[in-house]
Amino acid sequence: MTHTTCSHSAADIAVSVRDLRVTLGGQAILRGVNLHLHRGQLVALIGPNGSGKTTLLRAIVGLQRPDSGDVRIFGESDLKKALPRVGYVPQRLALDRSFILSVREFLALRLRETQHWFWHRKRDTDDRIRAEMAELGAESLLDRPIAALSGGQLQRVLIVFALLKQPDLLLLDEPTAGVDSPGEESFYDLIGEVHRKHKLTVVLVSHDLSMVYRHASWVYALNGVVCCEGSPEHVMNADSLKEAYGLNVTPYHHHNHSHGPGGGTVQ
Amino acid sequence: MNIFSDIEPFMLRAFAVAVVMGPLCALLGVFVTARRMAFFSDTIAHGALAGIALGFLLGFEDPTWPMVLFSLLVAAAILWLKEHTDLLTDTIMALLLSGSVAFGIIVLSMLKNKRGELHRYLFGDILSVGPDDVWLAVLLCAAIGAWLFTKLSPLALLTASEDLAHVCGVRTRWLNYGFVLVLTVVVSLSIRLLGIILVTSLVVIPPAAARNLARNLRQQIILSLIIGLFGGAAGTVASYHWDIPCGPAIVMACIAVFIVSLVVSKLWLNKPAST
Ligand SMILES: Nc1ncnc2c1ncn2[C@@H]1O[C@H](COP(=O)(O)OP(=O)(O)OP(=O)(O)O)[C@@H](O)[C@H]1O
Ligand SMILES: [Mg+2]
Repeated sequence: MTHTTCSHSAADIAVSVRDLRVTLGGQAILRGVNLHLHRGQLVALIGPNGSGKTTLLRAIVGLQRPDSGDVRIFGESDLKKALPRVGYVPQRLALDRSFILSVREFLALRLRETQHWFWHRKRDTDDRIRAEMAELGAESLLDRPIAALSGGQLQRVLIVFALLKQPDLLLLDEPTAGVDSPGEESFYDLIGEVHRKHKLTVVLVSHDLSMVYRHASWVYALNGVVCCEGSPEHVMNADSLKEAYGLNVTPYHHHNHSHGPGGGTVQ
Repeated sequence: MNIFSDIEPFMLRAFAVAVVMGPLCALLGVFVTARRMAFFSDTIAHGALAGIALGFLLGFEDPTWPMVLFSLLVAAAILWLKEHTDLLTDTIMALLLSGSVAFGIIVLSMLKNKRGELHRYLFGDILSVGPDDVWLAVLLCAAIGAWLFTKLSPLALLTASEDLAHVCGVRTRWLNYGFVLVLTVVVSLSIRLLGIILVTSLVVIPPAAARNLARNLRQQIILSLIIGLFGGAAGTVASYHWDIPCGPAIVMACIAVFIVSLVVSKLWLNKPAST
């Protein structure tokens, strides 16, 4: 199973990846990945550890140079033009404890406003930062140094950072890893809300298959190549998951949620 | 003003250069310390010795330009080796540092009439700060200060995370090169004042003292600028008053502020000091 030929027009494609190949440390990590993400979709990217999910996202935003292949964001192959419309939450962010940048300053950097944090705070910017942080219940962190946050706190700040410029495309690499469950709920609520408000496209890497099942409109299972893709019901059945994960794992637990025809359980 | 007429002109020149280079080094230093580039700065300072020696060897009366160029060469060598070999960064820097010092000392010892220069450049010599140097320092400070200021946001972002900076549209590679270029030029031109051995202290101590007192980057930058200015001014004044060497006096002034900041942060701010 590879990518489906799309019936949509090119303007409807948010991200297209064609035959992407990446070698790291002499190992072929991505071996010809093809993706065509439609606008407004909430796409989940699943796959076992080391299957190249992070590498794929990094290649899409230009942090990883591919050996070959083609990446277009909103039909644009020039990253410089596309990046202003992209929000990205990396999987791991190594922050140096010696750097004293506060959360407020960090978020203001996303708006590229030196004067905001250096000379004086602009009222409207400040209000926006505060409001966005409040939405994730993280308002109290504003004056803390980013390097002194806990893993989950930092993750919340990174999510706010990614959303601040109102991106059209949001790439989230395990955004809620380490975030507690109320935080996770409000995160998905927030994503859902932004998603409704404007036609935001979201790519979400997650190991939490029940979350994927509940929120994603399309799922890609990756393992060096795209093993299979489709609706959550379609992908998250035993055969497809076995193909992606390689063995009979039981990754998805059905928690009595009232969602559609529940073909997702692996027994 | 008659207080100034009593003061010898070389002293005024040293004062002028110190109050200009002090804050500039301190501003750069905020990012140098946060990016753990203190040893890098030390290496390019020592690299200057080889440049100075080469300059004399090639017959320059004033080896400023060979010195700056050679420091840039050392900086480029560090970056290149870092990218193209598996050597650890501090191994590379230790190698280049000792290499340039050894080369510089050998060449200077061969040039019979330049043996005194070694001491002069290692420890700084305000007598050698000429009127042209003052103008160079002022112009340079204005240009670099302005550049740095427009780049504060991208630089802060780059320091926090190169990956995020890239995704936010910062040209990380060029900003990195720009920063190294500016740091190299400023450090090698401050050698006149402070000497090769002490020059890094002007880059490291003011931001470290500011770090003790600050609660965010903005405060650290402002405090660091003030401490750099104070260190430069107080050091040259003390040097004149007590007839002590200027470079070490500047360093001691900065260290005094650092100790005060440490005590204040421990006693009043209830804030653990670091770096
Ligand atoms: N810089 C690197 N050098 C060498 N190999 C690398 C490098 N970065 C990643 N890899 C390898 O590439 C493979 C894919 O890594 P990647 O981080 O993309 O996996 P992932 O699907 O995101 O895994 P996880 O679920 O653990 O986050 C791994 O086998 C990893 O060892
Ligand atoms: Mg990953």
